[in-house]
Amino acid sequence: MKIEGTQELRASRERVFQSLIDPAVLQRCIPGCERLERTGDNAFATTLRAGVGSIKGEFTGSVRIEEMRPPEHYRIVVEGKGQPGFVKGSGDLDLEERDRVTVISYKGDLQVGGTIAGVGQRMIQGAAKMMASQFFAAIEAEARTEAHEPPPKHGFFRTALRWLSGWLRRTRSSI
Amino acid sequence: MTKYVGQRVKRTEDPRLIQGLGHYVDDIRLPDTLHVAFLRSIHAHAFITSIDTSEAAHAPGVVAVYTGKDVQKVGPVPCAAALPGLKVPDYRVLAGDHVVFVGQPIAAVVATDRYAARDAIDLIMVDYEELPVVVDVEAAAKGGPLVYEEYGDNIAYTLTAGEGDIDAGLASADRIVKQRLVHQRLAPIAMEGRGVLARYFPGEKELTVWSSTQIPHLLRTQLAIMLGMPENKLRVITPEVGGGFGSKLNVYAEEALLGWISMQLGKPVKWIEGRRENIQATIHGRGQVGYIEIGCKNDGTITGLRYNVFADMGAYHQLLTPAIPTLTGLMLSGCYKIPAIQMNVTACFTNKMATDAYRGAGRPEATHVIERALDLIADELGLDPVEVRRRNFPTPEEFPFKTATGLFYDSGNYQGALDRALEMADYASLREEQKKARAQGRLIGIGVSTYVEICAIGPSQATPAGGWESATVRIEPTGMVTVLTGASPHGQGQETSFAQLAADELGVDMDHVTVIHGDTSIVQYGIGTFGSRATAVGGTAVFMAIAKLKEKATKIVAHMLGVEESTVAFSEGRFAVQAAQAAAGGASSSAGNSGRSITIQEVALAAHLAREIPPGSEPGLSATHFFEPTNFTFPFGTHIAVVEVDRETGEVKFLRYVAVDDCGKVLNPMLVDGQIHGGIVQALGQALYEELVYDEQGQLITGTLMDYAVPKAAFVPWMELDRTETPSPVNPLGVKGVGEAGTIGATPAIVNALVDALEPFGVRHLDMPVRPESLWRIINA
Repeated sequence: MKIEGTQELRASRERVFQSLIDPAVLQRCIPGCERLERTGDNAFATTLRAGVGSIKGEFTGSVRIEEMRPPEHYRIVVEGKGQPGFVKGSGDLDLEERDRVTVISYKGDLQVGGTIAGVGQRMIQGAAKMMASQFFAAIEAEARTEAHEPPPKHGFFRTALRWLSGWLRRTRSSI
Repeated sequence: MTKYVGQRVKRTEDPRLIQGLGHYVDDIRLPDTLHVAFLRSIHAHAFITSIDTSEAAHAPGVVAVYTGKDVQKVGPVPCAAALPGLKVPDYRVLAGDHVVFVGQPIAAVVATDRYAARDAIDLIMVDYEELPVVVDVEAAAKGGPLVYEEYGDNIAYTLTAGEGDIDAGLASADRIVKQRLVHQRLAPIAMEGRGVLARYFPGEKELTVWSSTQIPHLLRTQLAIMLGMPENKLRVITPEVGGGFGSKLNVYAEEALLGWISMQLGKPVKWIEGRRENIQATIHGRGQVGYIEIGCKNDGTITGLRYNVFADMGAYHQLLTPAIPTLTGLMLSGCYKIPAIQMNVTACFTNKMATDAYRGAGRPEATHVIERALDLIADELGLDPVEVRRRNFPTPEEFPFKTATGLFYDSGNYQGALDRALEMADYASLREEQKKARAQGRLIGIGVSTYVEICAIGPSQATPAGGWESATVRIEPTGMVTVLTGASPHGQGQETSFAQLAADELGVDMDHVTVIHGDTSIVQYGIGTFGSRATAVGGTAVFMAIAKLKEKATKIVAHMLGVEESTVAFSEGRFAVQAAQAAAGGASSSAGNSGRSITIQEVALAAHLAREIPPGSEPGLSATHFFEPTNFTFPFGTHIAVVEVDRETGEVKFLRYVAVDDCGKVLNPMLVDGQIHGGIVQALGQALYEELVYDEQGQLITGTLMDYAVPKAAFVPWMELDRTETPSPVNPLGVKGVGEAGTIGATPAIVNALVDALEPFGVRHLDMPVRPESLWRIINA
C-alpha cells in the first residue's frame, strides 16, 4: 500500500531534521509510541500501541534510518508485529525550506498482515494519514522550541489543538 | 392420490426455526464443555522457525495448548477426488513448520470459556521466516514462487477432456470468437458458520461429534480414518444446519482436531467458527481464469469449442477441490449441439485457501463460458442472441441427447422454456423499448441465458464417494410413519418434502410422518445433500422403500384375510380385496372377503404383534432401500434479466427479472421457488458484488462482511418465476433437482444484460463482479 503526502511545518529545516532523528523526540511525537531505544547506529527498538477501528494492540519491532543526508533527506524502515498482525514498510522523507516554512514530502510503501489486513485494510490509508498529521503537528511543536528549552507537552488535547490550528491555517491560506 | 405432492405445503421446519427453538451445534450445551480457539497463520507462505506457547499455557482458564508436533498421529485432511497424476499435498490438521496460506491453523488453545481461549491465542509467539508468495493463478502456472518446493512446479494436475475433432471443428468455422474470462473467487457465506462439538467417553471408547455438515456419514468414515479409531465407535450428529452451499460438503481439520482433543482431555470440547475464520478458512468457490475459442458458421451454428482454463486450487486440496474443474468440462456443451469440445485444465496451487464446491460447483463456470460465448457469436454475426441459441438447440425428440463432453442429457425441451420466458418478458416489445430508451440516451440491457445443469449426483461410477442414497421407512405400532433419510439436509426442507411424498404414498396424514436425518447412529449409511441430489436420489430412495414396505404389508393383509396376494390392492391408506379378482381367483374364502379392507395402521399393529403374519415372514413393518441412479439428471431453463445502468453513477438497476426453470416433476412448488430465489440472489452476488481479494503478499483483504459484499435484501429484484415440466426418465418420481439452478442460470443472464446495456460503447465483454466503478469508467471514458 502506498502512502504519500506533504506537510508544512513552521520551523527551520535544521530543527525539524534534528527532531526527526532524535529518539526522545520521536518517542514523544509518534502517536502511541511507548518505547524507542537506540540499538545501534540509526537503529532503534520500539513498542507502539496502534490500531485501526476495533483492531487495536501492541506492536513491537525495529526502526532503522538509512540514506541520511541532513537536513534534506532520510529513509525510514519499520518492522513490527503484535496481536493485530504485522506491519512492514519503508518511506522516504524529503525536507525543503520555503519562506521559513519546512515542507516535508513523504512517500512510503506499507505492508500489513494478519487481522489488521483482513479487517482494517480499507481504513489503513486514512488512519495512516491521520497518524502522520498528528505526528508532524507534534514535531512542529518540538522544532519550534529552542534546544535548551524544555520540550512541549503532547497530551491528547494539545495534539488535537495543534492539528486543528494547522488545519485552519491551511484552510485560510488556500482561500 | 396426491393430496400433498405438488402442493405449496409450508415448511414444517419453519415454526421451530422462526421461534428460535431449533438446535444448531452451538445450541447444544453439555456440562463441563471446554472451548477451543485456533491460532492461524498471518503469513501466506512462510517457515515457522519457532512457536512458544508457554505464556498461553499459563493464561487464566487455559487447559491445554496444542501445536503441529502434538497432533502428528492425526491423519491428513482427505481428498476424495482421484485424477491421474494428481499431486496431493500432505495437509495436516495443524501446520508443521511450513504454512501455505493466511488462515491455516497453527495451534489450538483449549480453555474453560471461548473468550479465555481467544485471548490466549494472542500470547502464543510464532517466529516466521517469510517465503515468496504466489497469488495469481496464471503466474502460478507459469512458474512463479513455488508453494511446494518438492513438486518443482505449482501444477496440481493437467487434464484434457472432450470429444470430437476440435481442430477440424474450428477449421471448418466461418468465424472464430475468442475471449478471456475470469470467474472470481467467492466465499460461500452460509448464515451459520462451521461448528463442532466433540465428546469422548473414555470408558466406552466412544466419540460423538456434532458438526454442521452436509455429509454426516462420509464425515464419520473420514474421521475414523483420520483419528485411527473404529468407525462403529464414532457417531456424527448433524443437528440444524444453517446453510452450506457446498462449503460443508467437506471434511475439515477442525472437525478431526476437536475429536482428537476431546479424546485427550476426556471432556466435551466445542468450537464455533467466527465470521472472519469463515471467510478465511472455510473453502472458497470458483477461481478460474479461462480462454474461450469458439467457432461458428455464418448462420450461427457452432462448429467447435475450446476452453483453456487455469483453475485455482488454493494451497492444498479439500475433499473435492480437484474435481470441481472437471464438472466445468462436463457441462461446456450447455444446451447446444456442439460437434467438438476440448477443455484443457491447468490446475494450480496458490498461497490461498483451498477452493471446492460452492453452489453450482464448476457448472456456473461452464454455463458462464458457453452463455457468454453465445452472446459473443451473436455480437460477431449481428444476430439476436435468442436466435443464435435456437439455431443450436437439440429438439425435444433428440433426447437422450449425447454431448461432446461424454454425457447423455436425460430429457429436455429447451425451446419450451425459452418460449415461455420470452412470452413472460414480452421480448419483442422489450427490444423495441430498448431502442427508444437508447435514443434517449438511457442504457438499458437485456440478457438471456438458456442453461442446462447436471444434477442428482450421481451414478456411483461417476461420483467420488458413492452416488446412491438411502432411506428407511417404518410404520410404528401406533401407525406413525418414520422416515430415515441419508440425505441430511441443511436448509432444503426435506422434512417437509419427504413427508409429503411418504404421506401420499402411504395414504396417511402428513402430520403422522416424521423425517429423521443427520445422526449416524440412528440413520442407515447415506451420502448427503449436495449436487441438487436430495430429492432425485434421496426422495427416490424413500419412494422405493415405501414400495418395498407395501409389498410386505400386502403379504400380511393377504394372510390376515386369507386371500391371494394378487387380490389385494392398496389405495389411500387401505388395503382392499378386489371383488372381481377375488372371484376370478376361484377361492371361496377369498370371494367371501371381497370388499373387505384393512388400514395401513392396522397392518402395522398386526405386523408388530406378529400373531397374524405369514409363516416365515419377519415381524415389524419397515423397509430400507439404497437407490442407485442410472444417470445424472439435466434440469434446464431460461433466465432473462433487464437492467438499466445509471450514466452518472454506474449503478445497476433491475427493470425485470424473468426465470423459467424446468426441474422435472415438482414435489413442492414453494420449496422450488425458494431454491430459485436464493440461487438467483447468490448469482447476482457473483455478477455484481462479491469477490475475495488477496493482495500481492497473499493477505486476504476482503476478510469481513464489511469488505466482502454479499447482496442485501434491498439489492434483490422482483423475480417473475414460472416453470415448464419435463419429467426425468432417470427416476420413478420424474424429478431432476433444483438446488443450484439459480446460481447457474442467472449469472450469465445478468452479465449478458450489462454487456448489452453498454453496447453503445463498443463493449463486448465484462468480467465479474461488474462494479459500478468499472461501468462508470467505460461510460465516462
